[in-house]
Amino acid sequence: MKVRVISQSIIVAALFCLSAPVFAAPTWKIIPADSSLTFTATQNNAPITGSFKKFTGNIQFDPADLKSSRVEIDVDIASVTAGDSQVADTLKTKDWFNVTVFPHAVFKATDFVKTGDKKYEAKGVLTIRAKTIPMVLVFNLDDYAANKAHATGSTTLQRTQFGVGQGDWSKTDAIKDDVRVDFIISATK
Amino acid sequence: MRIKNTNDRYGIVAVTFHWLMALLVIGLLCVGLYMTSLKISAQKLQLYGWHKEFGLLVLFLVIIRLSWRFININPTLPSSIPAWQRFIAHAVQWALLGFMIAMPITGWLVTSAAGLAPSFFGLFVLPTLVAPDDHLRHVFADMHEWIAYGLIATICAHVGAALKHHFIDKDDVLRRMLP
Ligand code: HEM
Ligand code: HEM
Repeated sequence: MKVRVISQSIIVAALFCLSAPVFAAPTWKIIPADSSLTFTATQNNAPITGSFKKFTGNIQFDPADLKSSRVEIDVDIASVTAGDSQVADTLKTKDWFNVTVFPHAVFKATDFVKTGDKKYEAKGVLTIRAKTIPMVLVFNLDDYAANKAHATGSTTLQRTQFGVGQGDWSKTDAIKDDVRVDFIISATK
Repeated sequence: MRIKNTNDRYGIVAVTFHWLMALLVIGLLCVGLYMTSLKISAQKLQLYGWHKEFGLLVLFLVIIRLSWRFININPTLPSSIPAWQRFIAHAVQWALLGFMIAMPITGWLVTSAAGLAPSFFGLFVLPTLVAPDDHLRHVFADMHEWIAYGLIATICAHVGAALKHHFIDKDDVLRRMLP
C-alpha cells in the first residue's frame, strides 16, 4: 500500500516535471477587436474575401522559449461573413462548412521555428469538418512586449481536402481549390 | 465589301459588330434568364461567371462600336420609307446601343453590391463599384432585370421591322446589314 502511494507520488512528480516547461511560456489573451481571421477564395477567376468574426485562442507563446510554446485557435464557423449574406448563408450549408454538424474549426500548433528576424513558422494541424490535416502557418511577430503582442500571418489551404464544397462544389472550375487565410492576432497577458 | 459604311450599305466593320453583338446580347439574355432560375449550385455559379465575362465584353465592344459609328457615315434609309418610320428606326437603334451600355453597367453594379469583383476572362479583375450591400444588390438586380425586359421588347420591334422590310416590303434594308 505504502509502496503504491510512493510510486504514485513519484509518477505524479515526474509528470509534473515533464509538463512544467509547458507552463513556462506566458499565456496570452486575444483582443478580439484588434484581431481578425480572413480568407480569400477565387470564384470565377476573381477574389472573394470573407472572415470569421468570432474565434478564441489558447496561446502560450514566448519567442525565447519556442519549445514550450503552444497555440490552439478555435474558430466559430457560424460567424462566417463573405461578400453579401447570400454567400455567407451558402457557406453555412451542409455542402460547405455544414455548421450545424461541425460548428468549430481548430488549429493546434506545438512546433515553432524561427525563420528570420521576427519571422516564425508554426507547424500544426488544422481540423475542419472533422478532417485533420497538417498545416504550416508563417507569421511575423511584429510586436512582442511585456504586456502586448501582435502577430500577422497567413497560409494557403486546399478547401477540398477538408471537404469544404461537397458534390458538384468539389469541382474547382468556378471556385478554386486554394484558399488563402490571413490572420492578425493582438494579444495581452 | 467595303470596310467603311457607304450611303446605301453597311461596311464590314459595322456588319461584324452588328451580328457578333446581336448574338452575344441574345445569348446573354437567355443565359441571364436561365441562370437566375436555377437553385444555387456550382453550375449556376459557373454560368454567372460566364454571363459576367461576356456581358463585360459587350460593354467593351459597344464602346469601340460607338466610336466607329461616330467617325463614319451611316447609310440613309430609302426615302420610300415614311419619315416617322425612319425616325422610329433610328430611335430604336439608339435605344439598343443605350441598352448595351445600361445592361453591363447595372450588371456590374449587381455583382459589386454582392461583394464579388468580376473577372475579365481571367485576364484581369475589375474593381467593385460599390461596397457590398444586400439592399443595393436587390435594387440593382431589379434594375438589371427590368432593363433586360425593355431590351427584349426593343429587340422584338427591331427584328420584326427588319423582317417586315425584307419579306413584306421586299426592300434592301436587311440586305444592307448582311455580309
Ligand atoms: C448586354 C449585357 C447583359 C445582358 C443582356 C444581361 C442580361 C441579364 C438577364 C436577362 C438577367 C436575368 C434577370 C433576372 O431574371 O433577374 C441577368 C441577370 C444577372 N446579370 Fe446580366 N446581363 C448583361 C450583362 C451583365 C454584366 C456585365 C454583369 C456583371 C458584371 C451581369 C451580372 C448579372 C447578375 C449578377 C445577374 C443576376 C441578378 C440576380 O441575381 O437577380 N450581367 N442578366
Ligand atoms: C437577330 C436579328 C436582327 C436582325 C435581323 C437585325 C437587323 C438589322 C438591320 C437590317 C439593321 C440595319 C438598319 C438600317 O439599315 O438602318 C440593323 C441595325 C442595327 N441593329 Fe440589328 N438586327 C438584329 C438584332 C439586333 C440586336 C440583338 C441588336 C442589339 C441589341 C441590334 C442592334 C442594332 C443596331 C444598334 C443597329 C444600328 C446600326 C449600327 O449601329 O450598327 N440588332 N439591324
